[in-house]
Amino acid sequence: MNRRRVAITGLGLVSPYGGDLADFFQRLCAGESAVRHLLTDDVPRPLSMPFVSCPDFDPDAALGKPLASMMDRFAQLGMAAAFAAWDDAGLARHEEGNKRDRWGCAWGTALGGTLAYEKGYRELWQKGRERLSPLAVVLGMNNAANAHISIQLGLGGVSMSHTVACASSSIAIGEAFRRVRSGEATIMVTGGSDVPQAYGVARAWEALRVLAPGNADSAPRACRPFSADRRGLVLGEGGAALILEDWDHAIARGANIHGEIVGYGSSCDHSHLVKPDAAGQVRALRDTLDDAGLDSSDIDYVNAHGTATAEGDPVEIAALKAVFGDAAGRLAVSATKSMHGHLLGAAGAIEAIATVLALREQRLPPTAHLTELDPACAGVDHVTVARQQPLRAALSNSFAFGGSNAVLAFRAVAS
Amino acid sequence: MDCIGLIREFLKDRLGADPEAVVPGALLADLGVDSLMMLELMFEFEDHFGIKLASDLKTPGTVGELVELMDRLIAQQKS
Repeated sequence: MNRRRVAITGLGLVSPYGGDLADFFQRLCAGESAVRHLLTDDVPRPLSMPFVSCPDFDPDAALGKPLASMMDRFAQLGMAAAFAAWDDAGLARHEEGNKRDRWGCAWGTALGGTLAYEKGYRELWQKGRERLSPLAVVLGMNNAANAHISIQLGLGGVSMSHTVACASSSIAIGEAFRRVRSGEATIMVTGGSDVPQAYGVARAWEALRVLAPGNADSAPRACRPFSADRRGLVLGEGGAALILEDWDHAIARGANIHGEIVGYGSSCDHSHLVKPDAAGQVRALRDTLDDAGLDSSDIDYVNAHGTATAEGDPVEIAALKAVFGDAAGRLAVSATKSMHGHLLGAAGAIEAIATVLALREQRLPPTAHLTELDPACAGVDHVTVARQQPLRAALSNSFAFGGSNAVLAFRAVAS
Repeated sequence: MDCIGLIREFLKDRLGADPEAVVPGALLADLGVDSLMMLELMFEFEDHFGIKLASDLKTPGTVGELVELMDRLIAQQKS
């Protein structure tokens, strides 16, 4: 099979810290949490929980009013991230002709336009209205983000959305990667966006008893993956995008290459909806290494799924130990969700960005707030303080409810 | 508020259009109103004036045509 190399030529996100990409990575390496206490005015009982928001994000300023008004917040975050990645890749927003007919978009979102639908229900059931704006249809649809991205950037190839809970954007990135590697697409815009602050969504997560508690003082430390005193995950909103480009095309136009995406593996535990199974994760990890043509000894870092739930963290470590064997103790692992939270359908994308930046900067971001390791999570080299070290290749894990697993492999590029 | 006032407010709010550009001779398309935005505008009109627009309504091309159409419908509604 003809396999083309795939360069990562653009990275972009709506940062919960409010700054740019460099600022985002710097803060991750400083162990700085973006988690804050969220208090809403929802009826009948306000949401009150640790959460990661993007308070500085101004859709009208980022996208222009006409475009922003045609989108739900998940699409706004996605579009803004995609624009940032596109600009970072040094590509023009507009281009005449049909050169982009084989360029596409694969986007991840777990919830899509849930917030738009919820707004509709409020109008109907709380405000007693009988009718809804016709825009609700195009605001709410799950493929709204990728549709807008393809329209704005003139992408004539495939435009699709992937909804696989917490693995949504890792699967989107993996599928986009395959399209470029096979030669079907020259460039793919990929990533994900989500807004879990919908009242019905956040309440349901709360009822599942997996959300970390916290108030205004304790919220920043609420998410503690692998820690003996971990209490659960912290939901967050956000958008993150990557530009995957045919290597030769990137070289020919003199693009700046952040890193190389080299492998993608996916599997299903096929055992339980919410109880993860190490065997399924092991298959995804091994498939990814095989796909990348890498040996486990080539991997210097794993950005863990690490949500800080009681059940999930030890299973992930068990899977890593099974794959890395005796060398697991030297494998650097960190869970950046401790700082940027769990972005659900955007989690894989923001973590892919963290992983690519780690390889590019040869610098490992830590798991924040990990002072007392849970013995059940021992057996790997937990990074608790950022450190500089030679990094050749890295993996990013996404293990979703439903038992869907996705792993991405990246390689550093000599600068 | 009269029809043109409502159109001005709507286009400023949704599209950031300059109210001074919303004059009878202006093409709605030039102001950024596509078919989807037209549906939304008609929805607002129905809400605001308590009227029901027919589903086979001919789509107006200019601000003036839209105002004329709305005035006629509102008058019909009242009579």
